Amino acid sequence: MLSLVLTWLIVAWGALACIYLLYRAWTRFPRRDLDDVVHFLYPVDLSLAESLLDPAEDFSLRWSLSPRAYREAQRRRMRLYLELVRRMAHNSVVLVEFGNAACAGEKLEAAVVSELQQAAIKVRLYSTFARLNLRIRLLLPSGAFGVIPLPDLPRMRKVADLDGPKTYDELRTAAAAAFMQLQPGDLEGLTRNL
Amino acid sequence: MNLLLRYIPLSLLVLLLWVLLRRRAQQVCPWFFVYVAFGVVADMVRLAVRLLVPLNADVYYATYWISEAGYDVLGMLVMYEVLRAVLGNLTRAWWSRLIFPAVFILGVSLSLARARAVPPQVGGILAYIVVGEIAVRLVQVIVFAGLVTSVPLLGLRWRQYPFGIAAGFGIFSTVALLMTTKFSDFGTSFKLLFGWTLLVAYSVAVLIWIWFFSSPQKAETPNPDVSAPSPGVLKQYLDVLRRMR
Repeated sequence: MLSLVLTWLIVAWGALACIYLLYRAWTRFPRRDLDDVVHFLYPVDLSLAESLLDPAEDFSLRWSLSPRAYREAQRRRMRLYLELVRRMAHNSVVLVEFGNAACAGEKLEAAVVSELQQAAIKVRLYSTFARLNLRIRLLLPSGAFGVIPLPDLPRMRKVADLDGPKTYDELRTAAAAAFMQLQPGDLEGLTRNL
Repeated sequence: MNLLLRYIPLSLLVLLLWVLLRRRAQQVCPWFFVYVAFGVVADMVRLAVRLLVPLNADVYYATYWISEAGYDVLGMLVMYEVLRAVLGNLTRAWWSRLIFPAVFILGVSLSLARARAVPPQVGGILAYIVVGEIAVRLVQVIVFAGLVTSVPLLGLRWRQYPFGIAAGFGIFSTVALLMTTKFSDFGTSFKLLFGWTLLVAYSVAVLIWIWFFSSPQKAETPNPDVSAPSPGVLKQYLDVLRRMR
């Protein structure tokens, strides 16, 4: 019975994928113009991310604050990191769309687009798992950490075998390489907003 | 069914083989190239057997089932190739290597469970070929649907050969699985519609492959003939990176 249900679910998933494919083929248009990519990017402070993930910072907080104050501070830091990860994910989508649009218009070398896309995929993967992880932890009431040990933020550096800040840094490098080829005038904006 | 109409996919496969040779696809997706070449040869042999020995059903029967087993094995290898190409940049993550084995095990298990619930009408080794065929169809649908789902999630680019291959197989296999289930529900009166639908679905799949391979895939490795960036460009590039950090 379960196998039949699973088979039907797979077939339904395939049918939905076919419908989505048709929809995408029907409504194909670039969502973002090459010229306005920079305006869609959210700035990500990597030094802030590094400090949030720093085990020494975590240890000093744990040492200096009372358990209750530490729990509150840790929740605030988790929310802040969640926001940074959300921005990383958003920027990776914008940059992939930029790469795809540039590639479709034959404006960028395929190797550069591929580099950008691979870096963006890693950021998306990291951010998907990291956001899920953080959201679940933040869903638990603050008091629950009195029973369940509070997770330390430095462990969030590596999720799904990917180093978050490092993968985002790779994305920035790939984006800079793409902008050097295509829009050197916008490099300043990219530097500011990425 | 009209013999001429029945071999429309063969003519499309020949056209696809020509397109693949033009694009040197054997270097990019060797197993898919082997699959198409095998498809052309198998269909030609089936046609030849049908025309040359029309009264000897056993010869056609043997040819048909041997080629079906070949399709099963090659279909699975193509899916492995597609997943490896798409997840290529994730191979360093340990779990990405488990995706294909997990999909393979799921497909085979579901097919075996289905064979227990609805036993195939053939026995012996032919039953294994039927089970293998359904397993391959399930794997193809999972890979296709998984890739389509990952496009909005990960922002992957559509116009890639592996996507085209997965899309063709996925659409055909979704229709084939739907029809197989309905066929077992309605019985032999459904046979004619079953045959026609599969013919149309396979032709659509081959047309998708032709469309995807009709334009060259841009080389993803840097061209060795392209000269290195000038020191000025390199300095500008390093300046940008320094400002970002």
